[in-house]
Order: sequence, then structure tokens, then C-alpha cells
Amino acid sequence: MFWQQLVNGVTMGGIYALVTLGLTMVYGVLRILHISHAGVFALGAYIGVVALRLSPNLVVVTLLAMLVCGLVGVLMQRWLYRPLLGSSRIVPLIASIGMFTLMEDLFRLAAGPYVLPLPVRVPFGLDEVTTSVVTGNQLVVLSSAVILLVLAWFVINHTRLGLAWKATEQDFETAAAFGVNVDRAVAMNFLLGSAIAGAAGVLVGFYYNSVYPTMGSVPAYKAMAIAVLGGLGNVWGTVIAALLIGIIEAFLVISPVGLFLPRDSIAFVALILVLLLRPYGLFGRR
Amino acid sequence: MRSSGRWVPLVAVILLVGLLGTTALGAEPIKVGLHAPLTGFAAADGLSVRQSVELAVKQVNDAGGINGRPIQLVVYDDRADAKEAVAVAYKLIEQDKVVAVVGGSYSAPMRAVAPIYQQAGIPMVAGFAVHPDITRAGDFVFRCGMLGPIEGAAAGEVAGNVLKAKTACQMTMDNDFGRALAEGFRKRAGELGFKILWESLYPLGEQDFTPYITKLKQLNPDVVFTSGYYNEAAQFCKQAKDLGLKAQILGEEGFDSPKFIEIAGKASEGVIIVTNLNRDDTRPVAKAFIEDYRRLYKMEPDMVGASNFDALLVIADALRRAGSTDPRAIRDAIAATKDLQGATGVIRRFNKLGESTKPIQVQIVKDGRFRYFAEVGDPAIITPPEK
Amino acid sequence: MGLYQVTIAITIGIYIILTMGLNIITGYTGQVSLGHAAFFGVGAYASAILSVRHGFPFWAALPVAIIATALVGAVLGAVSTRLREDSLAITTIGINFVVVSVFKYSSFFGGALGIGGIRYPSFFGHMLTKPEYLPVVAACVALGIWFDRRLVRSWLGLALRAVGQDEAAAESLGVDSPRFKIVAFMIGTAYAGAAGSLYAHFMSFISPQDFGFPMSISIISMAVFGGLGTLRGAILGSCVLGLAPEVFRPLVDYRNLMYGAMLLLMMRFMPQGLIGDGSVIWERIRSLFAARRLPGRADERGGV
Repeated sequence: MFWQQLVNGVTMGGIYALVTLGLTMVYGVLRILHISHAGVFALGAYIGVVALRLSPNLVVVTLLAMLVCGLVGVLMQRWLYRPLLGSSRIVPLIASIGMFTLMEDLFRLAAGPYVLPLPVRVPFGLDEVTTSVVTGNQLVVLSSAVILLVLAWFVINHTRLGLAWKATEQDFETAAAFGVNVDRAVAMNFLLGSAIAGAAGVLVGFYYNSVYPTMGSVPAYKAMAIAVLGGLGNVWGTVIAALLIGIIEAFLVISPVGLFLPRDSIAFVALILVLLLRPYGLFGRR
Repeated sequence: MRSSGRWVPLVAVILLVGLLGTTALGAEPIKVGLHAPLTGFAAADGLSVRQSVELAVKQVNDAGGINGRPIQLVVYDDRADAKEAVAVAYKLIEQDKVVAVVGGSYSAPMRAVAPIYQQAGIPMVAGFAVHPDITRAGDFVFRCGMLGPIEGAAAGEVAGNVLKAKTACQMTMDNDFGRALAEGFRKRAGELGFKILWESLYPLGEQDFTPYITKLKQLNPDVVFTSGYYNEAAQFCKQAKDLGLKAQILGEEGFDSPKFIEIAGKASEGVIIVTNLNRDDTRPVAKAFIEDYRRLYKMEPDMVGASNFDALLVIADALRRAGSTDPRAIRDAIAATKDLQGATGVIRRFNKLGESTKPIQVQIVKDGRFRYFAEVGDPAIITPPEK
Repeated sequence: MGLYQVTIAITIGIYIILTMGLNIITGYTGQVSLGHAAFFGVGAYASAILSVRHGFPFWAALPVAIIATALVGAVLGAVSTRLREDSLAITTIGINFVVVSVFKYSSFFGGALGIGGIRYPSFFGHMLTKPEYLPVVAACVALGIWFDRRLVRSWLGLALRAVGQDEAAAESLGVDSPRFKIVAFMIGTAYAGAAGSLYAHFMSFISPQDFGFPMSISIISMAVFGGLGTLRGAILGSCVLGLAPEVFRPLVDYRNLMYGAMLLLMMRFMPQGLIGDGSVIWERIRSLFAARRLPGRADERGGV
């Protein structure tokens, strides 16, 4: 039972990591709390539902969702965040909340309030490989998460783009002085972060076979907690924090603690405890 | 705001449609209000409520209305929020001047508005809200749906006496509905003498049930009584099948939606629920509801809709018998309701508190559909409290 | 005025008190709080429990609720002194979730069923009706405005604004910023406590979801929509966004969409808020009045 519970936790952790990754990347370069990221996540799932008409293949559906969500992310950055960079930092936050509300209602008006299924076909019949420790669906989510995280790791650490982000993270002007096209770097950051959120949307939609307008509500704030826990802007801290929260949740909800602490508060209790000891998160820097 | 002009055509169309819809029949219409959570987290239930009550109004009006006068429905969204519901209640009472109200929203908003309708002397019939205090607001407030503890007790009856369970576990949703069900189930389990091995609490909106199921597998009870709305329910059943849980899953009316079967797929087969809508019901009212709903909206009806459909039928029936639109007379007529045929069963009467008494349906999922499995009619279980 | 209008007026009055409190924390002192509804809840539950279980009259429950909420606010203030602004914002969301969980999971607070049977205040043995409750709320709003004006003009208000504008500079001038942050949280949450008490006695029934994160979002949206850091913005923002659900109500399905769109477009095209310092509308109003007044007084700031 222990091992199966661990797998349950790691699977949730993987999902949390994918949802939070884009958020923390965006924060890294722009210092914006991008709440509507959760809207992009839900959009990914809806794109998945539409893409099913083209092909039932999980890979095709995911790539399409990534493409559309990446572009929507760039549009958001261009239209919404770029003009607001000069204003007080709460302004983009409220704008983002407005955008998220708007997106949730657009999904509801366009696709109805009911839950839609997302019956994609998985390559290699991976979802049929059920063992006593891990189910086929969990295997699909876990392997996809690993692939996407490795992709992100590669872009961040081994490309010029990743280097450009690191430079922008420090200071826009210095980065520009060193020949970094800041505007493009920021746009690419939104592209990748949003594409991964879109993929997460499809995976979650597949894993639960359900897509609905408010599916981004819980991730919207839980991802925030995880991002802060991992040290805002710190990509690897975020992944580790996501896994930790997933595992802690799996073990706590079945313990007596679950009778007086709801699951969605666990991440926040962890956050408050950690911040009291380490104000910059588990792996944060000043 | 620069782009506010874009909304003008949209607003115009909505207003126009609204106007056309209200002037269909010649005689002066009777206004009945409806609370529904059309936006926010409960939007799916809100739409079911709205469609079902609109269907009921259509059926009544097509059959000649109330002594020749049509019913006109005034619908407002309360987002399942108590504050908003209070404003909606006053708007319905003072501006729309409705003579009766269908309370088709969740417990918290209905609990907040019940005293307002009581004070204003406008009868309200709650559809599926479960909070016990709603009807305690006074003699103008009635409820069509079941009370949580009674439904839970019926589930306990099914577990102990029909399924002959020796051990059970409870998966309880952490809202008022889930807690009330759990209380009833626990009590009945004590009376019948089967053992509850584990009671777990999970938050409304939960999607990942794997940790709970892993533990349930280890405990291996005969029955797992699970509360939840259709999405939680479908996730639970789907993941239980994936992880190989052997226990019989017993659900409640929250499972009662075609969406449950659609999302859970094969995992829904064999799941038994206690509810108030019998899909194999041959009574004409139930058949007309189910068939008209399918035809009109191109989807399967659900329990949420059926309960509120009946709430409107109760009001329409009372309007006919009262022979006037005086709210006091309507209230007295509702209180005198006798053996009314509704989609969810025969509403025998309303007791002093305004609670209805109906037998509870037990349905099983077979070949992707809800089918008749049993009925709990024991008065000791289904009779609601009088105070 | 019908009960419908009275209800809306009371609701907006409660929003104004909430937003004024948040404006002191976030607007003046610069500490972003996304969990203000938690304190609204603390005030409401404190007042409800005192009046239902211990027979406190409203007039006694109100001040106790205010003090209790301010004390809880002081604790959060103490935590906030350790956190950088964005971490603080997220932590306050966390506080909101944890407080709501406590209300929802503990039978002492009535659990998921909430607490009912909270009575309207009595005045010399006469239980107030809804229209008579409106002046009580209005008086609290007036008191809140008066206190805010006093605060802004005092040395304490100056210190709070100094912390809000540039913490490091304020410290170099000898302002003990952690202490002032705690004071700001205490004052701001005291407002929320008052609003909570008024709300509980107005609704007569409270349940945990009334004080959740979406409510916090509504409050901060009001403050920013009107113009963060100004009292007039807090008041106007509460009125506009408080009225919006009612104005849009006939749109039924499209209501929430309009609300989101309004918020988004406002922030996008008028980031200073409707009448915040530097917004187009406010500058125009100012120049209008400046033209009429004597030239020497045109640059007077800090007024309503």
C-alpha cells in the first residue's frame, strides 16, 4: 500500500509541477502573478476536446493544445501585460484575475456548463498497462510529465533562449545592453510556459476524463502556493515543491488529519509553516 | 471603457428574446420566480434546474395554463451565493411581484432567503436544497426534495437489508449535504448492526481519489457509501475500478446524472444509488418529463432537474386549486397538497414543517443507464420530522 | 425605497467598510492582501457566536468582534513583516483558505451548516427592521470615513504611507517599518471585523463559503477598480462593483462575463483605477475644480 500511495502522490505532484512550471517561469522574468495561467490550463483541455475531431491520438491532441495555448499566452503578454509593466504590481494581478473570470465564463458560454469527456487514444496502449502499484492512466501522466519537464529543463539550461531568460531575470536593461532581445525573450517565455500549461490541461482532462469551465479554479491558487513554496521564479524548486505537496497530500488525506484539514488547504499550511522559517521558500533566493 | 460598444448588439438581442418570450399568450400571466445558480461553480446544476422548470411551465401552459392564464417564469442567477440570493429574493418580491417562488439553488442561499419569503408572505418551494433550517423559517416554506439524513438512512437500509453488508466505509463530501447524508447512514448502520470501518472526508470539487481508494482497498469493506455530485462520483468510481477496488459502491442523488455515466464509462456499471427519480417509472408525469426533456434539450434529464420540475408542479397544482393568485391562498393550497403526481414520485402531502413524504428510489447502472433496483418505502425511514 | 434597494444599499455599505480597511493595508501601507475576506469572516463568526450562544446584544458583540478581528490581524501583520510582497500576497490567500477550513471543519463554528438565528439589533427594546438597519450601517460607514481622514492626516498615516512608498527609505528615516505594518493590519482588519459583524446581523445566517477566496478577490478588485490608495476610490469602487451584479442581473447568463470584462478592461486601459491619483477622470475633475478655485490651492492633495 505504501508504494501505491507514493505513486498516487507522485502522479499528482507531476500534474502540479506541469501547471506551476509556466507560472514560475513567467514570474522569473516579469515578476507578475499570472493567475490567468489557470485559464490557459483549462483552455488547453478545451482545445483537446476540439482537437479530438481531428485525431484521437494523445500526442497529436497535446501538441495542438500546446500550440494554441502557447500563442494565446503570447497574445496575453503582448496585449495585457506589456502595457502594464510600468504600473503598480497589483494592476497586472487584478487584470489577470479579470481575464481568468472572463475565460471561465467564455468556456461556459461556448461549451456549456456540463463536464465534457476527453477520450483520447494513448500510443503503445500505455493506459492498459496496469500493475498492482501503478495504473495505466497514472503511467501515461507520469511519462508525459517527465518528457515535458525534460524539455523545459533542456530549453532553460542548454539554449541561448534559457540564457536570455536568466539575463532578463536579473535586469531588463542590462540584458538588453548585452544584446538580448528582451521583448522576444519574454514572449518566448510565455510561449513555452503557456504551452506546458496547455499540455497539462489535456493530460488532466484525459486522466479524469473530464473537462469543465471551472477546472482551473483549484489549480489557480494551489499552483500559486506551490510556486511560492519552491521559491518564486525558481523552476527546479517548483518541481520539487510540487512533488512534495503531491506526496504529502496523498498520505495526509487518509490520516485523521484529513478530518479537520481539507486537502486544498494542505499546500497553504505547508507554505505558511515553511515561510515562517524560510521567508523565500524552500529553494528561494533573495 | 473603449470597447463597451461591442456589447450593445448582444444586450439588445438578449432583451429582445426576453420580450418575445414573455408575450406568447394573451391572458394576463401569473408570475412565478425561480432562483438558479446559473454561473459559478454550480452552473451545471443551474442549467438543469432552469431547463426543467421551463419545461414544467411549458407543459402547464400548453395544457391551457392555470384556469386560462399562463404562468410566466422570472429566472435570476444567484451564483449559489447567499448575499446575491437575498437581493434576488427582494427583486422577485418587490419588482417582479411574483406570487410564488421555486427555490432551485443550493442550501446556503435558500437558507438565507427562506425567512425573507416567510416575512413577505410569498410561498417558496425548495427543490433540492438539503439544509434542515430552510423549512423551519415558517409556514410559507416547503421542500420537494429529500432531507439529507433521510436519504442517508435509506442508503443504510439498502446496504444492510438489501445488499446484506457486514462492513462498510463512508466517503463523505465536506459540505452540508455530504455531512447530513453521513449522519443518516451512520445512524441506520447502528440500528441494523453493520460495522463502519472508516469514515473519510473529502473536499467538494475533489478529483483525485487514489489515496482514499488505496486505503479502502486495504480495508476491503462490503460496501462503500459515497456522497458527491456527479463529477466527484464519476472520478471516484473510475479510479476505484482502475485501482481494483472490489467493494460495492453505493451512491446518492448527487450521482444521478447522465454525465456520471458518461464520464465514469464502464466503471459506472453496477453502481447503486439512492435517489428520487425512477427512470423506469411508467406513470405519465414521469414519462412526459423524461421524454419531453430529451426531445427539447437533446440531453438526458437528471435528479436536480426533476426535483425542481416537481416544485413547479406543486405550485401550479396549488394555483389551480386556490383559484386565485393571492399568495396566502396559494400557501394554503400547497399545504393541502394531496397525492400529487410528480416526476420524482407521488407527493403524498406536506407535513406541518413543509417537508414532503415520498418513497425513495434505488437505481442501479446497467448497460450505461440507470434502471430500477429497489424502492425504500418504510415509513419509519422516509417520514420527515414534524418540527 | 423598497427592501430591494435597502438590501443593495446595506450590502454596498458593508463592501465600502471592507474596502476602506483593505485600502489602509494595501493602498496606504503597500502590503498586498488577497485574504481580506478571512477577517470579514472572523468578525462575522465572532459576532454570531457571541450573540447566538452567549446572548450578547449587537451593540456589545460589534466592538468585541472588532477587537477580536484586529488581534487576529495583528498576528498576520507579524507574519507579513517577514515576507516579500508577492510571497505575502500568496500567503494571505493561504490564510484565507485556512480560516475558512477552520469554520467549515470545526463544529464549534457550526461546520458546513453555518450559524443561523442571528438577530437584528434591538434599540431600546425595539428590534430594528431592515430599513432601520440601514442608518446603523451608514453610521458605521461614516465613522470609517471619519477615522480614515483622521488617520491620513496624522503622523501615523504619514508613517504608513512612507512604508508603502519606499520601505528602505522609510527605515533610513528612522521609521520602524515592521511595527507600522502590524498597526496597518490591525486597523484594516478591524474595519473587516466591523463589516463582518454588520453582515452577520444583516443576513441572520452565515456559512463558511461567504468568506472564501472569491470574496477576497471581490474586495481587492473594488479597491483597485476605484483607485488604490485613495479613500474616494475605495468608496466609488465598492459602489460600482457592488451595484454591477444587480445592474447586470437581467443578463442572467452573461452577468459574470460582464463583471470579468469590466475588471479586465478597466485595468488594461485605466490602470490607476476609475478615480485614482493620475487617472484621466480624476485629473479632469481636479483641473475642473482647480480652475474654479484660487490658483494657489490647486495642488492640495490627500483630500477625499
